[in-house]
Amino acid sequence: MKTEKKMKEPNQKNSISRRRFLQTSTVVAVGGAVVFGAISVPLLRRKHKLLRPPGALDEDAFLASCIKCGQCLQVCPPQVIELAGISQGFGIGTPYIIPRQGGCILCKGLPCVLACPTGALDHHISEGKEAKMGLAVISQPETCLSILGINDLVFRLEKLAKTESSEKPAVELKQIVGKLLQRLNPEEIKKLEDHTGLTGLGETAGHVLQDKLMNDQLQWLTAFVKKSAQAERACRICLEECPIKDQQTIRFIQKPGSTDGRDEIWPIVQETCVGCGLCEEKCPTTTASITITPRLKWSGSA
Amino acid sequence: MKTDIQKPKVKTFRGPGKRKENTPQSGHAAHKWRNIRWGVLLFFNFLFFASFFFDIQVLEGSLSASRLFGFHLIDPLAAAQVLLANKNLLVNLVIGVVTIIIIYVALGGRTFCSWICPYHWLAELGEKIHLILKEKKIIKGHAFDRKIRYYFILIFVLLALITGYTVFETINPVAILSRFIVYGPSLMLLWVLAILLFEVFYSRRAWCRYFCPVGVSYQLIGYVTPLRIKWDPEKCSNCKRCQQVCLVPFVLTNTVNKGKALYVDSGACTRCGLCIDICDDQALSYGLKYLDKLI
Repeated sequence: MKTEKKMKEPNQKNSISRRRFLQTSTVVAVGGAVVFGAISVPLLRRKHKLLRPPGALDEDAFLASCIKCGQCLQVCPPQVIELAGISQGFGIGTPYIIPRQGGCILCKGLPCVLACPTGALDHHISEGKEAKMGLAVISQPETCLSILGINDLVFRLEKLAKTESSEKPAVELKQIVGKLLQRLNPEEIKKLEDHTGLTGLGETAGHVLQDKLMNDQLQWLTAFVKKSAQAERACRICLEECPIKDQQTIRFIQKPGSTDGRDEIWPIVQETCVGCGLCEEKCPTTTASITITPRLKWSGSA
Repeated sequence: MKTDIQKPKVKTFRGPGKRKENTPQSGHAAHKWRNIRWGVLLFFNFLFFASFFFDIQVLEGSLSASRLFGFHLIDPLAAAQVLLANKNLLVNLVIGVVTIIIIYVALGGRTFCSWICPYHWLAELGEKIHLILKEKKIIKGHAFDRKIRYYFILIFVLLALITGYTVFETINPVAILSRFIVYGPSLMLLWVLAILLFEVFYSRRAWCRYFCPVGVSYQLIGYVTPLRIKWDPEKCSNCKRCQQVCLVPFVLTNTVNKGKALYVDSGACTRCGLCIDICDDQALSYGLKYLDKLI
């Protein structure tokens, strides 16, 4: 009997402490879940500045609907959609676009909207024009080339000349040459052909030209571009790159200059802007002078 | 025969099994179902990865929601949260969830856990480490209350309704891992790692056993499915090793402990087949309740 009792006692104690552990741990776990939900949601739900894909519902409805599957990201042709992580605050796993790294091109049929299984990207829109992602804003007028009256190709070539071959200058030069060939008049193209000894530059030979100019001809090219007719016009790349082609999303309006009396040409964003971010992506200044304010609604003037 | 003799004698207990001694049948393959299952699990997760990475477009999306050859598949719990959070019913959502429910009614409910869920696979590896550490007496195991899972699913469903946000999807390790597989790493992986370390060093298979609400959602499907573990009392010698390897040992109570049922009757069973693999009496097998007799 004695031995049995001795055997039993620690066992009983064990089972009591075990039960206590079970009860406490249950309370802790369940309480933790409730507290997590109750505290984290209001705490983390602050006003974001994330640019959502086209068709996104209002932010609260969007966060409620998004199932975080990433299918919009998978079907995106230019691959500009990313999934938010913990550093983006609320909405882990929700899709967003970083316009400076790549804006939405508002492609035909909006595959991201079609792919969305929950309607967080509203199926009611069928064209990029109808998207309301945000609005472009001239956030840094002091660096805007249009206001400063600087031609974008000249600006980019001069910037390229300054960089010490570290940042893939070949790609940048290729883009500059491509743009240049679109803008030059036939006479100027002839001149370029004479200088380089190439023919048919109007159509296809952009990359050949780039190879030829890459090494020592950058200075010549800069001087050539400065003298070309297109150089008389200041940068309008934001409008040129705008995917909404049929409408004037940005108007260039002359204003009297603030300092030297010279008239300044200000890009003014119009109501048809959907906030796709291509202008921010393509803005040639070091930090974009035009940026997207996500979720911003048109209110008469931007 | 020689290998049988060399085998250490297996301890047997009192129970409803009718065989007196543990006498292994020939042809027993120790890890057959586990290997098949891991193959399937890794294949489907690779398919998710490859559909995006190589753009083969077979199984697009992640485990929260995807399209298999264009057909919507949506995780029922995630869909329930979305529905309660935005209070708006969508056709795609219904189609995706109904498809998933049909698939898992046919295939056994928590089959999702052991045959598809990438966290389950990590947890199985973690479990091995846990058992080694426990055997060497470096750590002690701790058990929690299984009911926590039910409280959790209730809380998170209510939280979706009240806060208007899919709170659980923020911390859902299944979705986080699935997104990692398809879209690359995120900082939330640290949370998954924390759960895994908790399992390895503190409590065996804690997330799947005591906490995971996703498992509960598939468990509900598992109550009505015919695909179950079948128990043959004529062959069983009551060694109970099936319950030692089982993620949810209590599901076997009505069969191997009490002899009241021939098919495992709990939806919590993940149909992982570890019990079938360990049973060298071959008393356990996959079976189709209701349908076995017809066939």
